[in-house]
Amino acid sequence: MITSCGNTEQKADSSSSGKKVALTAAGATFPLPYYNLVFKNYTKTQGTLVTYGGIGSGGGIRSLKDRVVDFGATDAFLSDKKAADMPAKVIHIPTCLGAVVVAYNLPGLEEIKLSNELLEAIFMGEITNWSDAKIKAENPGANFPTLDITFVHRSDGSGTTYIFSDYMSKISSKWETEVGRGKSLKWPVGMGAKGNPGVAGTIKQTIGAIGYIGSEYAFAQKIPYAKIKNSSGNFIEPSIESISASANVEIPADTRVMLTNSSDPYAYPISGFTWIILYKEQSYNGRSLAQAEGTVNFLNWLIDKEAQAIAPLVHYAPLPKKAVERAKEILKSTTYSGRPILKQ
Amino acid sequence: MVFSLVSGSIPVFNEYGFKFIFSSAWNPTEGREEYGALSFIAGTVITSIFALIICIPLAFATSLFIGEYFRGKWFAKGLGTMIDLLAGVPSIVYGLWGFYVLRPFIVDLGLSTQGYGIFTSGLILAIMIIPYATSISTEIISMVPNDLKEAAYSLGSTKLEVIFNVIVPTARSGIFASFILAFGRALGETMAITMLIGNTNAIPKGLFDTGNTMASVIANQFGEADGLKLSALIAIGLLLFVITALINAAGKFIIKKFA
Amino acid sequence: MLVIINNSGESNYRSKKNKLFLGLVILLSLLTISPVVLIIYKLIAKGIHQINLSFFTETAPDTLAAMTAINNGEIIPGGILNGITGTLFMVTLASFMAIPIGIMIGIFLYENTEKKYAAIIRDISDIMQGIPSIVLGLIAYLWIVKNVTNGFSALAGAVALTIMMLPLIIRSTEETLKMIPQSIKEAGFALGVPYHKVMLRVLIPSSLSGLLTGILLAISRVLGETAPLLLTALGSPIVNLNIDKPTSAVPLLIWDFYNDPNMVDLIWSSSLFLMGFVLTLNLISKRIAAKRT
Repeated sequence: MITSCGNTEQKADSSSSGKKVALTAAGATFPLPYYNLVFKNYTKTQGTLVTYGGIGSGGGIRSLKDRVVDFGATDAFLSDKKAADMPAKVIHIPTCLGAVVVAYNLPGLEEIKLSNELLEAIFMGEITNWSDAKIKAENPGANFPTLDITFVHRSDGSGTTYIFSDYMSKISSKWETEVGRGKSLKWPVGMGAKGNPGVAGTIKQTIGAIGYIGSEYAFAQKIPYAKIKNSSGNFIEPSIESISASANVEIPADTRVMLTNSSDPYAYPISGFTWIILYKEQSYNGRSLAQAEGTVNFLNWLIDKEAQAIAPLVHYAPLPKKAVERAKEILKSTTYSGRPILKQ
Repeated sequence: MVFSLVSGSIPVFNEYGFKFIFSSAWNPTEGREEYGALSFIAGTVITSIFALIICIPLAFATSLFIGEYFRGKWFAKGLGTMIDLLAGVPSIVYGLWGFYVLRPFIVDLGLSTQGYGIFTSGLILAIMIIPYATSISTEIISMVPNDLKEAAYSLGSTKLEVIFNVIVPTARSGIFASFILAFGRALGETMAITMLIGNTNAIPKGLFDTGNTMASVIANQFGEADGLKLSALIAIGLLLFVITALINAAGKFIIKKFA
Repeated sequence: MLVIINNSGESNYRSKKNKLFLGLVILLSLLTISPVVLIIYKLIAKGIHQINLSFFTETAPDTLAAMTAINNGEIIPGGILNGITGTLFMVTLASFMAIPIGIMIGIFLYENTEKKYAAIIRDISDIMQGIPSIVLGLIAYLWIVKNVTNGFSALAGAVALTIMMLPLIIRSTEETLKMIPQSIKEAGFALGVPYHKVMLRVLIPSSLSGLLTGILLAISRVLGETAPLLLTALGSPIVNLNIDKPTSAVPLLIWDFYNDPNMVDLIWSSSLFLMGFVLTLNLISKRIAAKRT
C-alpha cells in the first residue's frame, strides 16, 4: 500500500482526442441545484456532458489543485495566499449571486426589521430575549413574545457562513475582533445544525429560533426572514432584484470582491457572488485542445443570457450586465499553449 | 494508510505538540486559529459508550431470541430479517428520522428543551449498531454444538443455566468480537450524529448537553478545510484510530481477565 | 461447572428465574425491532407515493421540474435510475474485491490464531471499522483518483467501499470458522483430501450461513454511504458504466436531494428503495443458506 501525496507527475492522455468531450466539475453546495439544472440543460442543447459534484468549496479548490476536474466551484474567492499555493494561475468566473437571509420562528410575526446594532447584539448573545426593549424600539407595533432567543448556525464549514460573518465583521467591530470571518467560526452563542436543511429544519421546529440560511433555500421553502438595514439606511427585503442590485458596484478586473454591505441603495446587504475557478493556461496534464475548448465554451455559455435567464426561476440572482462583461473579459484571457481559446 | 494519516497530521503536531490532544480550544477563524481535540475525544467516547451500554442487553437478548429460544421459527427469522434491515438504513435517514421523530419526542418527554445532545445521538447510535452486534452474535450462538447443550439439559439444567454456563462460554469470543465491531462502528459514525448532537465544540457537561464527536467534526469541516485546519482534522482521524486501538486492547484485556 | 441441586424449592426458584429471563428476552427483542417498524412506517408514509415506474426507469430530475411539480401539487417527475445503476455497479465491483480478499484473510487468521502477526492483522481490521468513512474516502481519493484514474471514477468509489467492507467480512469469516468442530476438518485431512479442497468443499459450505451474514452486513453498510463516494465517485447526471468515469449512486442522489430545497421529498422514496434492496439481498442469501444446510 503506497500513497504518494505530492505526486504531480504528468501523464499523457492519448485517448481523449477524437472522443466526445465530457466535463467534470466539483465544489460548492450552495449553487448545486442551479448548476445541476443548467448543466443538464447544456447537455440537452449542446450535447456536452457536464458532471458536477457538490463536495464543498474547499473540496472544489482541492480537486482543481490536484487537477482531477476541469473546473472547480467556490463560494469564497481564493485569497492571494491560497492562489499562490495553486500549481498555476487560477482565474475566477462569477456565475450568479446568492444571499444569506436571517430566518426566524415567531408565530404571528410576519415581518420583522433588524438593524445592524440588533444583529450584533443578538448574534453576540447580548440580547437573549425577544421581548428586549431594543428589538421593540426597531419594530414599533409588533408584538414580541417573552421568549428566549435560540441562535442556530451552521455546523459544517460553508460559504453561507463566510458571507454572513463577512457582513457581520463589516458592520460590527466587536464581531470582527471577537469572532471574525470564516467558513466556520468559534461561535459566541448558539448551536450548530448541518447544512441549510438542518438550520432551516431546526428553526421551523423551535419557537423563538433565529438563524441564517441561503436565500435560495429560504425562498423555495417559504421560510419567514427579516428585513435588513443596508448601508444607505433602507430596510431591504431579500429578493432576486435586491440581491442582484448588490453587484451594482465597482467590480475589480478579477471579480474577486465581497459584495456584502453594498453601496447600492436598493441592495440587500448580505449578498455575494459564487464563482467557478479554472486554470488560465488550459494545456496541462495532457489535456486535449478539444477538452480546453469544451471547458471555456461551456463557461462562456454559462454567463450568457440563456443560462442567466434560468437562474431566477430557481431562486438564484442573475449577474448584472457589468459583472457579465467582466466575466467575459476574463474568459477571453484563457489560453491553450499560450494561444487564446475563445474566438473573438 | 497509517502513513497517510501520520504525514497529514505532522503540521498540527508541529504547531501545538501534545497540547493538541489535551486542549479543548477550537477556533477555525483564519488569523486566530487554535486547535485542540479534547472536546471531540470526550464527545466521541461518551456517546459511543452510552450507545454500547444500550446496545449490549438489546442485542444479546435479540440474539438469544433468534439463535436459541425460537431458533428456526418463522417469527424468529422475520425478526432476524428486520434486524438486518436496520443495517441497511442509510445513515442520513437515521439522522432525518432522529431529527423529525426522535428529537421532538425527547422534547415532549421533557428530558431536554432542544432535544439535541449526547442522549439523543447516543440513542440513535445504539439503534444503528445493534444489527452489527446482533447478526454476528446470532450466527455464533446458533452454531454452538447441540451435544454440548443436550449434555447440560440431561443434567437437569434450565434454559437460563444452559445459556450462561454453556452457550455464553462457548460463543464468548464471537459475541465479544461482534460488540467490538459494533463499538468501532459507533466511534466512526458521522452523518446521523452530526444531525443530532448539536455540534458545540466544547466538552459536554451532562447526558443532555450538546457536544461534538471526532468523526462528526471531520465530516462537518472536511469539505471546506485546508492548511493547518485540514491537518488538525487528519490528526483527529489519527487520534480516532489510536483511541479505537486502545479501546480494542482494553476490551481484549478485560475478556482475558474475567472470562 | 454445573451443580445439580435436588432441593425442590430451589428448583422452583430456578424455573421462575428461567421464565422471567425468557420474558425479558422477548421484551428486549421487541424493543430492539421497534425502531425498524417506526422507520419503515415513516419511509412508507412519506416515500411510497413517489415510487412508480419512472422512479426506476428515469434519471434524477432537476430542481426546476421538481419545483413546478410541487407548485402544481403533482408528484416529482423522474427517477433515480442513474443512482440505482451506479450503486449496483460500484457495489458489485467492491464485492468482487472485498469478498475473496476478506474471506482469504479470515481463513488465514483462523489457521494462524495463535500467531502474533495474526493478532496484529485482526486488530488492524477491527480498528479500520472505526475509521470515519470520510477518511477512508480520502484515502481512496489519494490512491485512485489522484494516481490511477486521474479523475473521479467508479473504480475509486468501489475501492473506498471495499476498504469499508473488509473488516466485517474478515471478522465474521474468522468467527464462523472457529465455531465449526475441528473434527470435520480433521476427518477431511484423514481421508487425504488436499487442503484447498477441505476449505472449499467442507469448511466454507458448512459455515456458509455465517459467511453470508458477514457479506450481507458489509454490503448493507456500504449501500448507504455518502461521504466516501462524494470524494471518489462524485456523481453523474447520466447512467454511467465506465469504470474510470464519475458515477452516481443512490446515497449521492439522496445527498443532492437533501441539499436541494425542492427535492427533499425524494429522500424518503430513495431510502425506501435502499431498504427494499437490503431486504431482497437478505431474502436471497437466506434462501441460499437454507438450501445448503
